Amino acid sequence: MKLLKEKLESIFSGVQVNILEQDRLIMSAQKDAVLSILSFLKGKGYTHLALISCVDWLEEKEFELVYVLSAYMQKDNGYTDKEKTNIILKTRISRGNPEFLTVISIFKNAEPYEREIYEFYGIDFKGHPRLTPLFLEREYKIPPFRKDFDTREYVKEVFDKIPFVENKDGKK
Amino acid sequence: MRELELYFGPQHLGMVGNFSITLKVEGDRILEATANPGYLHRGFEKLMELRNWIQNFPMVCRINVVEPDSMEMVYSMAVEKLAGIEVPERAHYIRSVCLELARVGSHLFGLWAYANMLGFDTVAQWAMYHRDLILDLFEELTGGRVYHIYIWPGGVRRDFPEGFKEKIVKTLHSIGSCVPDYDATFFNNRIFYERAKDIGKITREEAKEMGATGQVLRATGMKYDIRRVEPYAAYNQVPWDVPTRKDGDAFSRIWVIRDEMIESVYMIFKLIDKMPDGEVYNKVPNPFKWNIPKGEAYVRCESSRGELGLYLVSNGEDKPYRAHFRTPSYPHGLTVLEKALKNASIADVGNIMISLYVVAPEIDR
Repeated sequence: MKLLKEKLESIFSGVQVNILEQDRLIMSAQKDAVLSILSFLKGKGYTHLALISCVDWLEEKEFELVYVLSAYMQKDNGYTDKEKTNIILKTRISRGNPEFLTVISIFKNAEPYEREIYEFYGIDFKGHPRLTPLFLEREYKIPPFRKDFDTREYVKEVFDKIPFVENKDGKK
Repeated sequence: MRELELYFGPQHLGMVGNFSITLKVEGDRILEATANPGYLHRGFEKLMELRNWIQNFPMVCRINVVEPDSMEMVYSMAVEKLAGIEVPERAHYIRSVCLELARVGSHLFGLWAYANMLGFDTVAQWAMYHRDLILDLFEELTGGRVYHIYIWPGGVRRDFPEGFKEKIVKTLHSIGSCVPDYDATFFNNRIFYERAKDIGKITREEAKEMGATGQVLRATGMKYDIRRVEPYAAYNQVPWDVPTRKDGDAFSRIWVIRDEMIESVYMIFKLIDKMPDGEVYNKVPNPFKWNIPKGEAYVRCESSRGELGLYLVSNGEDKPYRAHFRTPSYPHGLTVLEKALKNASIADVGNIMISLYVVAPEIDR
């Protein structure tokens, strides 16, 4: 892991790598470097993209995209330290202009995760073949997982307008 | 031949759970399949941001209806990691026993769904009955049949009641004594072989490319199991084996499930034998004034369906800032399913979907 840390820091500039306990490696990078870091790590054997997540940092006016990588087994029997390692790659994009590049060309299974983030946070992934709604059925003014989305207000606004069943025929 | 668009589910006999697939078919062949989740989207991850750390427990277990214990486990692990809480030795063993019981119950439920879909109604009834016996055990241990809210940060909610170990052994023996019957009527049945062999085939390379874990990957011969790769609870205390198969089709996946159930039962026996005495719970601060230090954690465990992960961010407050579950059904039900359904026949849609072990609430969250 230390070797990997040194290598990452020497190849990519502006990368911060921290090693936490229990084989977790957390690194933050500039958004331009993310795709090349991901393909570098894939070449190093970290071929399993476990998760793409997104965190809304409202005060800093930024979205944080999080890529969690780990490795599948190299041999049919026996485990190495590599499989225990989880790499968490974080990058920040501006909240005012939420767009990023898709990573489908590197990890095929990124597709539904990016669709989900597009739907929940409104981040536009350039080059994604189908950014269609995945879970939600209604239209939202603010994407619902953003921190400034008020669930209570939304419920009042949408569901209070639906009349009660008794009131439908004019009776109370 | 004319191309048609068919809607498979959510109201369909071959569909398990609230999920639908849009199929583009030509005759009986599927040209393209589009998974269509969202019927059970309850926004749990958003709601978790509005509740404090302890209040989230009744919520996380509802993400996977069939096997809630691994959800509690992964959330407890993340909270323990962020807050730096230690777990007593005995609690680790109890957690493992609990998770393995849940795994057997969940696999029996999966077997019910699969056997029912193939028309093996007798086997389906047996599986449901045997799952009920396990739910009875949970009822005695935790007070709840389906949702247990038993695993907490710092340990488990209460110790085993008196004579509970013997009860587990007795129940598992009575289920285990039926394995020859299951084999004779279902697993070695020619009809099962004919219906499942070479159906929904996924090679190891494809599985790796699509982020598959769990049975989907183990059916292609890889011994990838988080309980082995990164042992948690008491899984490194007893010897056990990771069952695999070679072919990567529906037949292999169901056989892996069967072997796993048997392995889990043996593991429970070993864990019960080795279980130490002592405390089961380390006290945590007052839950209503509990602020967890700033930080983030990614934890993972092996649920009955594959790798279950949780990315949890704390802002130093009494509520999580962000929680995102990596559920195993997510890649299986969206990426793998769409791939596996290509060029299959309409009659095999339910077969492929249930053999991939997709559970819809886990996708929607």
